[in-house]
Amino acid sequence: MHIPDGFLTPPVWATLDAAALPIMGCFVRRTQAHFDESRAPLLGVMGAFVFAAQMINFPVGVGTSGHLVGGTLLAVTLGPYAATVVMTAILVVQALVFQDGGVTALGANVLNMAVAGVWLGYLPVKVAGGPRRVALFLGAWMSVFGAALLATIQLSLSHVAGDGPLFASMLGIHAITGLAEGAITVTVVEAIGKLSPKFVFRGEA
Amino acid sequence: MKRAAAVVGVAALLLGCVAGWVASTAPDGLEHVAESLGFASRGKAAAASSPFAAYQTRLVPAGLVGVVLLYGFGVLFGRTLKRKK
Repeated sequence: MHIPDGFLTPPVWATLDAAALPIMGCFVRRTQAHFDESRAPLLGVMGAFVFAAQMINFPVGVGTSGHLVGGTLLAVTLGPYAATVVMTAILVVQALVFQDGGVTALGANVLNMAVAGVWLGYLPVKVAGGPRRVALFLGAWMSVFGAALLATIQLSLSHVAGDGPLFASMLGIHAITGLAEGAITVTVVEAIGKLSPKFVFRGEA
Repeated sequence: MKRAAAVVGVAALLLGCVAGWVASTAPDGLEHVAESLGFASRGKAAAASSPFAAYQTRLVPAGLVGVVLLYGFGVLFGRTLKRKK
């Protein structure tokens, strides 16, 4: 659901870019206060892993594909603050080096997937008091669906198409993609937890 | 934790290598909606100007370039966090 250049009108992308900058500055500063140093070796490998996993598109219904976004996965391994920063780095590399997601739309994509995607993905885990299966699955689904909802609102503000079909098709597809996100997230977190229980984040946000 | 980190790192490298072959080339959710609702043409056709655009290249699996960049970012970010403390 990376929004490319050209889909959003200038007032929409410019506003979101302007909003994303100070918000990210704030997250970087808060990561310094909240980050557990023993997790430093995970920053590089988790960023690399989620970037690589995002390239693996799998079929979702006929003629459509989806891929892992990884908000919940990053949040439960790095903690939500560092996860937000690492997801932003992934989106920046995708936009600048691979033209996956627009450069002007970077603010929108960061707010949708790195901010909303990570924090919605972390919320059920926080409420459940740990990375329980149901919480991981629900978080992963909410992270994809929430990010898609925000993207749809931004597209609607840019008048790309009629609101009815736009919301119905975007939310319909991503409700299904979210189920795959949930299944992959639960599988990967459990596999990582078996390798090293400490790898999975249980601390305070 | 170091061993688990190494396993995840190797998994990232493997995924980066195979992504070009195994990934579905069908449009993703947003692209599909853009095509069916007729606003796909608004996306600028800028895809040709980057050597790694859309993860297609013959020299190196392009995904590996991103995997290495993200790994490097994580290492540097981790160092910055340590220094500030």
